[in-house]
Amino acid sequence: MINAIKLHLQGIKSALAVRMAYRADFFISILIMLAVEAFMPLVTYLIYKNGASLPGWNMYEALLIQGVFMLSRGISFPFFFGMVWNTIQRVQEGTFDLLLIKPKSVLQMLIVTGFDSEDLGKLIGGIVLFTVSLVNIPFPGLGLWLKFIVLFFVSLVVMFGFGLILSGFGIVWIGNFRVYEIFFSIANFGMYPANIFSKAVVTFITAIIPVAMLGFVPASQLLGRPAEGTLIAVVSSIVFLFVSLLFWKAMFRRYNSAGG
Amino acid sequence: MSIYKRLLQIFRATVFATYKEWAAYRSHMAVSVLVGPVFFLVQVFIWSAIYSTQDTVTGLTLTQMLTYYGIVNVINYLTYDSSDVDLQTLIRTGGFITFMLRPVSYFYYAICQKIGHRMLALWVEFIPVYVLFFFVFKINLVPANLFWTLLSVFLSFMLVFLTNFCIGITGFWLTKTEGLRRAFQVLRDVCAGNLLPLTLFPGFIQSILFYMPFQFIAYVPIRVFIGSYELAGISMSIPQVVGLQAVYVVIMFLIYKVLWHFATKRFTGVGA
Repeated sequence: MINAIKLHLQGIKSALAVRMAYRADFFISILIMLAVEAFMPLVTYLIYKNGASLPGWNMYEALLIQGVFMLSRGISFPFFFGMVWNTIQRVQEGTFDLLLIKPKSVLQMLIVTGFDSEDLGKLIGGIVLFTVSLVNIPFPGLGLWLKFIVLFFVSLVVMFGFGLILSGFGIVWIGNFRVYEIFFSIANFGMYPANIFSKAVVTFITAIIPVAMLGFVPASQLLGRPAEGTLIAVVSSIVFLFVSLLFWKAMFRRYNSAGG
Repeated sequence: MSIYKRLLQIFRATVFATYKEWAAYRSHMAVSVLVGPVFFLVQVFIWSAIYSTQDTVTGLTLTQMLTYYGIVNVINYLTYDSSDVDLQTLIRTGGFITFMLRPVSYFYYAICQKIGHRMLALWVEFIPVYVLFFFVFKINLVPANLFWTLLSVFLSFMLVFLTNFCIGITGFWLTKTEGLRRAFQVLRDVCAGNLLPLTLFPGFIQSILFYMPFQFIAYVPIRVFIGSYELAGISMSIPQVVGLQAVYVVIMFLIYKVLWHFATKRFTGVGA
């Protein structure tokens, strides 16, 4: 475990060193990423500013759900979700083969070499929206914070599961970066209160593909109004992770090299 | 051989080659058949919840709002463009030098490529999603006036191409343009009305948006499709707004001409 962390830190160090060769461009890119993130809650903001609302949720409660989602994405995208573009790019270019001969697991190497420094802008964006929402609602007590932290960790587990699935697709679906769009279209369901969806959709996003865990479930816990089926969502998140891992392994077995 | 005949031959050859090239990746394009309706489904739930407590939002009913999002989706499949990435890649890799030596203007070649690409998208993306929206979501995707809608979508097609092409030209000056491109895309999507109807913005922002070219990319074709135009309290007839759209296309073309003139003077290619 310590070795794995050391390896990951080394990967981060190398990626940052490479990026620092164009220091100005790096900071500009982070700023642009941050500005891009600012548009994400815009729709919700404008809906509320026009006097409309999502029934039962004030603006900052609704924004908190999106803040949690952005925070979860802000951690996962730079630190491990890079395995997705890394897989797609390597398989397309033929450099995936190089990872097969390394003395570490291929998946670990995909994560380590997939650190995306520019995505740190997403993390800053997530922190900003989360903080702004939080200061505009009654501050949660310690108990709620503890529950939130546990559920937030589970949200990262779900993100990791999605990373595995998309990376698995990247092995067999050559050069298709549009798998990200598939993820975002489904993840969109986790960015809004579940009570606006039909019963069938709620069951789907909590018990089958637990995208509600990416934003709604942890945020509602922090707001002191735990979501229905939280426990089921936690269990299904863990199952989701294992199924994703099996999927990735199955796709990995199907990998065919054409030389690099 | 007359110049027109030669241009027509180039048009046919490039459109056909691009179509064939991208047909090999049609499954990538077909992702839209899943992504478009899933995004739309979320919009249906969001707006249905919002409208459960009120009848209109900024004067739009639930049906009109969903129709708006439905039209945004399908029009985007017709106007989508990647000429910025294509040009910037050619500049960065040095491949652009080969176009300087060809007896075809790169601008003409790029627009032919876009036509070929969108012809494939017509049956892989547009028609399946249109059918899904029409029959499954029951969205009325019948234009108020077919002629003006087609004209407006064509002008939007040109405007998206021209604005993207101009962003692509910045690659002649900047080493890395990924960030600029991404920022521009978000700004364009927001200001064009791709994310939400522009009438939802506060009044003073609507006034600014009215004078910017972005509304002609999505908001105007959508309003022409619906059959009425209004922004920042200004109402215009459909022929008037389409005429204005055409003026903006001409302005963007002139901007492209100026940028291209200075950019190609600056370009230096070695090898490639």
